[in-house]
Amino acid sequence: MYPVWEVPHLTAGMILGLIATFHMMPVYLSTSAMWFAIWLESRSVREGRPDLMDFVRRYARLVLIFSYVFGALSGVGIWFAATVAAPRAISGLIHNYVWGWATEWVFFLIEIAAIYVYYYTIDKVDAKTHLKIGGIFALASWTTMIVIVGILTFMLTPGRWPSTGAFFDGFFNETYWPQLLLRTTSMFAVGGAYVLAVAASGKNERVRVEVVRAGSVLGLAGIGLGGLSFLWYSSSLPDPIRSNLAALMTPGLRGGMIYPTALLALLFAIFAAKPGAARPWAGAAALALVFSGIWSFERTRELIRKPYVIPNYMYSNQIIGGDVPSKGVSSELDRINDKGILRLAAFVPDELRTVTDANRLRAGRMVALIECSACHSLQDKGLRPLPERIRRLGATGPDDVASVLDSLGGIPYMPPFAGTADEKRALAEYLLSISK
Amino acid sequence: MDTPALIKTLQDPMGIPFFPVVFQALMVLTFSLHILLVNATVGAAALAVYGRLAGGEFWTKLAGSMAKAVTMSVSALIVLGVAPLLFVQVIYDPFWYASNMLSAAWAIGFLLIMMAAFSASYAAVARGDKPGAALFGALALALFLAAGALMHVFSYQALQPERWMSWYSRAAGVDASGTTLHSFSLARYLHFIIPGLAVGGVFLMLRSWYLEPRADADRTALDRAARIGSGLAFWATAAETVAGVWWLMILPDGLRFWRNPTFIASAALGFALLGHFARVHFFTEKPQRSALASASAIILVVLAMSSAREALRMAYLARFEYSPLAQRVTLDWGSTALFFGTFALGLVVLAYVLATAFQSGRVAGRYEAGPRMQAWGRVAVGLLIAWIVVVAGLGVAVTLRNHGV
Repeated sequence: MYPVWEVPHLTAGMILGLIATFHMMPVYLSTSAMWFAIWLESRSVREGRPDLMDFVRRYARLVLIFSYVFGALSGVGIWFAATVAAPRAISGLIHNYVWGWATEWVFFLIEIAAIYVYYYTIDKVDAKTHLKIGGIFALASWTTMIVIVGILTFMLTPGRWPSTGAFFDGFFNETYWPQLLLRTTSMFAVGGAYVLAVAASGKNERVRVEVVRAGSVLGLAGIGLGGLSFLWYSSSLPDPIRSNLAALMTPGLRGGMIYPTALLALLFAIFAAKPGAARPWAGAAALALVFSGIWSFERTRELIRKPYVIPNYMYSNQIIGGDVPSKGVSSELDRINDKGILRLAAFVPDELRTVTDANRLRAGRMVALIECSACHSLQDKGLRPLPERIRRLGATGPDDVASVLDSLGGIPYMPPFAGTADEKRALAEYLLSISK
Repeated sequence: MDTPALIKTLQDPMGIPFFPVVFQALMVLTFSLHILLVNATVGAAALAVYGRLAGGEFWTKLAGSMAKAVTMSVSALIVLGVAPLLFVQVIYDPFWYASNMLSAAWAIGFLLIMMAAFSASYAAVARGDKPGAALFGALALALFLAAGALMHVFSYQALQPERWMSWYSRAAGVDASGTTLHSFSLARYLHFIIPGLAVGGVFLMLRSWYLEPRADADRTALDRAARIGSGLAFWATAAETVAGVWWLMILPDGLRFWRNPTFIASAALGFALLGHFARVHFFTEKPQRSALASASAIILVVLAMSSAREALRMAYLARFEYSPLAQRVTLDWGSTALFFGTFALGLVVLAYVLATAFQSGRVAGRYEAGPRMQAWGRVAVGLLIAWIVVVAGLGVAVTLRNHGV
């Protein structure tokens, strides 16, 4: 176990969630934008319409700056945030999927070179070459999705990996194809929102009307096909995940996926019919709806993985709770229950390694930091605050709290308590103390 | 828990999918490319600020193109930084993660600083030659230097596992706020920052060499810029030699790093580079004619320095019975082939894109690709499509085998 980063109220996991959701905005722009841009560019060449290139230039500039400044940085940011939220988990993923990420990196290199060359050579190279550069960007960008979906879905459904340990057995798991299709179709809905945002502020009326209409139709198609893909994706989820979904899906999250999508579809329908009415606010509204929908989807995806961060292997508090024989790794639970988490975790001050009357509350806090703080705030307010949870349970003494800790393993989305009886008691006393 | 035991506890139990020396080599190689771009960014940003402050036609024009170059090189350095960030986590996981966790808030702060720096560098370009460009440029430079300082702290803290627990412990338990930066070495930091000016100098020489054949080139200005570049390259390399000696002197006594063969080789190459720049700056009429040789030489020296630093890291950590090469290997040939196959294919595609940029930038008007370039473009697109088809085919086969229809 590494040192813990306690983020008051929010938790480190929430910081990761915020950065990861933000990252989706430039990523979907990157993966979808160029298909639309090269379609429009080829129309411009075919029909002799240089006016269309004004939109292409502004759209490409948005991709360049938003995707390859803020997108690239937030992508690196996910790694930093994942590191400080759950270093053992990101380590476990990297030790298995390093070549997957390295493969994705090759396409990053191509993408970034291609978008710069595409943008800066508009009208400066022959049309065929320019379209080829655009095509290279579009293909490379979508390919990064092909790669990352394998790793993302592995974190939900690891396929045959636990028994074989083989890269592709985890990569091409049972939810890979549905999620790839879902993300591929949805990216066009997001791309449509960006088209709306850029085109609505265009000066040339004819171009504005044509592009807004085309972008809205693209967005509608993305939402329609995305909806169908979502049905396939939902039906591909294994039973334990479905029961998590039933238990953890709040009305807020469900509504957060349904209402923004429906409103976005409505916006697209309006502007497909009356493209001349589009104004910059419409683009901003569309992007806000996209962010809201992505936030709810990604939060749900994170939630339904519980109690694991890597299924059947590592719990969300980073304790290894399952065997992976192919990699020679076994569960840590028995050893921790026997020797104690305070004794085995690396970053515990010596004077807290054994629970004594003099250090009970401090030792209890140490256990809470290691085992609870990844998902729960230890403050009164914030994300799943433990003081409030304990109060809600009506616990009046440490025995009540200890029996709740005993029952954790029976709750489908909670990791079991890991540690000795003394540590459990110390944790119970600490939790009680902060709930008063 | 003693330090070697602590490190063993932290090490990932999974093992790694290929021989560690390969990850180490890739880490050193990709880090060298990353740091070259970092250097270029620092150098170009400094030149852009200086140019704005100096004023006059020559410097204003040069500052504008340097400011634009900053935005591009930052994009590239971020993407190039992803690879060493990945590989360090494969073979140095306990060190990288522990160091980051001990200053976790700053790991997120690094991201915000970089975003602010990037925004400031774009603002500097957008201001053009209007007032404020120097201010935004200086802000961008200051923020880049701050981000570099944070990266230095993470790497430096990683080398001191014997101090980790004392940094984390507090009287009442532990400090889990992650808001403290624990260790900084000015000599080591300068060793990374000063070369920015040398690389910036070489960049100026390269720019003059590249633009010289254009019909609309201002050759007097290009000559002057190349001369400024060669001067910067020489004096910054001389300063870097001093910083390097200082750093060498403050290394822990027991390491005896001055006897290490990789250090001796890289120091020798460093002095040779200094001699080369002296020749170019003081005894060559047109420094841009030596631009390619200078760029090759500095790349070679950066590679050698990165290798020496890797040897130094191994020496540091050997004191705690850790070797990045002593990893448990669970060979995974499939994913290894996927990466190296993609890498080879990627180089062909990337080279096409860069070649197009190179050729189109050298002509004053519109660039028309010849039949060879057109064929190369078709091959590049075809390779990407082929990659998708092959991987999708593999995916379908694995899915059918493992999960049925």
